[in-house]
Amino acid sequence: MSEAHKHLDKLMQELRRGTITIGALSQLHQPQYGYSLVTTLKEKGIYVEPGTLYPLLRRLEKQGLLESKWDTNETRPRKYYLLSELGKEVLDLLLVEWQNMVTSMEYLIKERREENGDH
Amino acid sequence: MEIINRYVYAVSKRLPEAQRNDVADELHGLIEDMLEERVQDTEVTEQDVESVLVELGHPRSLARKYRDRKKYVIGPELYDLYILVLKIALISTIAVNTAVFVIQVIFNPLSILDYFVNYIVSFFTVVIPMVFGWTTFGFAFVEYFSEGRMEKLELEKGWKPSSLPPVPEKKRQIKRSEPITGIVIYVLLIIMLSFSSEYFGIWIFQDDELAGVVPFLNEARYGSLIFLAFIIFGAGIVKECMKLFYEKWTYKLVTFTAIVNFVVMALVLFMITRMQIWNPTFMNELMQYDLITKGSEGYDVVRQIWEQLTFWTVIFLVFGLLWDLIAGFIKVRKAKVKWNI
Repeated sequence: MSEAHKHLDKLMQELRRGTITIGALSQLHQPQYGYSLVTTLKEKGIYVEPGTLYPLLRRLEKQGLLESKWDTNETRPRKYYLLSELGKEVLDLLLVEWQNMVTSMEYLIKERREENGDH
Repeated sequence: MEIINRYVYAVSKRLPEAQRNDVADELHGLIEDMLEERVQDTEVTEQDVESVLVELGHPRSLARKYRDRKKYVIGPELYDLYILVLKIALISTIAVNTAVFVIQVIFNPLSILDYFVNYIVSFFTVVIPMVFGWTTFGFAFVEYFSEGRMEKLELEKGWKPSSLPPVPEKKRQIKRSEPITGIVIYVLLIIMLSFSSEYFGIWIFQDDELAGVVPFLNEARYGSLIFLAFIIFGAGIVKECMKLFYEKWTYKLVTFTAIVNFVVMALVLFMITRMQIWNPTFMNELMQYDLITKGSEGYDVVRQIWEQLTFWTVIFLVFGLLWDLIAGFIKVRKAKVKWNI
């Protein structure tokens, strides 16, 4: 692995850590179990390992942002997660912040691009 | 499949009791979901299971992701203090051990090799494990029962720039090695005094062997002497700890030193004047060993020295303790004067 890729890996890991939380919360207006969430996120281009997502869901539940319920009616029992009232509130606030950040970053990067274009 | 159970068990056994079953059930579900996606409608082979488990990663690292609790025995809030205590304890015990070794060799120089081997071996069997063990145990105990209160305490105290301590001035600063050396010496004195006070005297060698000791101190008073010595040296250790804590000479520290020094002085004066601490038969014992004969010039000199011992002890002590105070006071003054300019 090249030097640049090594750094990229590390930085991407840090970058993902926060975005995965937003990604997971954003998909939980409807109840989902862990693996179905992995699949939906993957379909939408966000790849997250189950070994990361499962503990995250549990932590968010402990913090009160998610609620959970075991569904034992299906072929195998599954634990479904759903946004709590608090979780919805937090997600809304979080999305506003995220939007601001995206706008600012876009602006920063565009500025740089235009500078380069001048050369 | 059995291997799945083994994997789930390897993860869940590393988790707190309360979560174990829930996480295990969820993991079983996850593994089955992953297998299903992998093989679609065909039969699941052992190889499929293995790849899925490898994808999930080492049970230990998966368990670590589930546990968000702290993963240390002694946290950052206690760490500095822990290292400091450990240093002092190690230096003290090494000093004591070395002193014991030296005394043993003086008494019985022929067995020096035995003593040396014992000395070295005891480091690995007793000194290091005991000091490390008990210090670490003590701190781990505090850490465990404080359950993060320590961190909260630090945060709640709040912080404002004006509460920052000033950059220490060289002249006022107390080097850490100074109080640490002090503590080590006090510990050494306490241990020497409580285990071998009868050796505190004039050693009589006959035919290259220790024939006896003429003690300086009154044997009948050892009990109360040692008790008072504990108080005095204990006060000394407290004083050195204050120096460690303040890190520089301040009026507060000088005042505190003054109080401790005066108490020590009063105790020593009391001991010397009221308690007959010196060996009352010192001169006679010396004569018994034929070291001096009555009526000779040597006898008079020794007797004079012996009789003046009390006086000089008091003088030295008073000057020593006063110097300790004055030195501290001068250091504070100097720094203050410099500041005022």
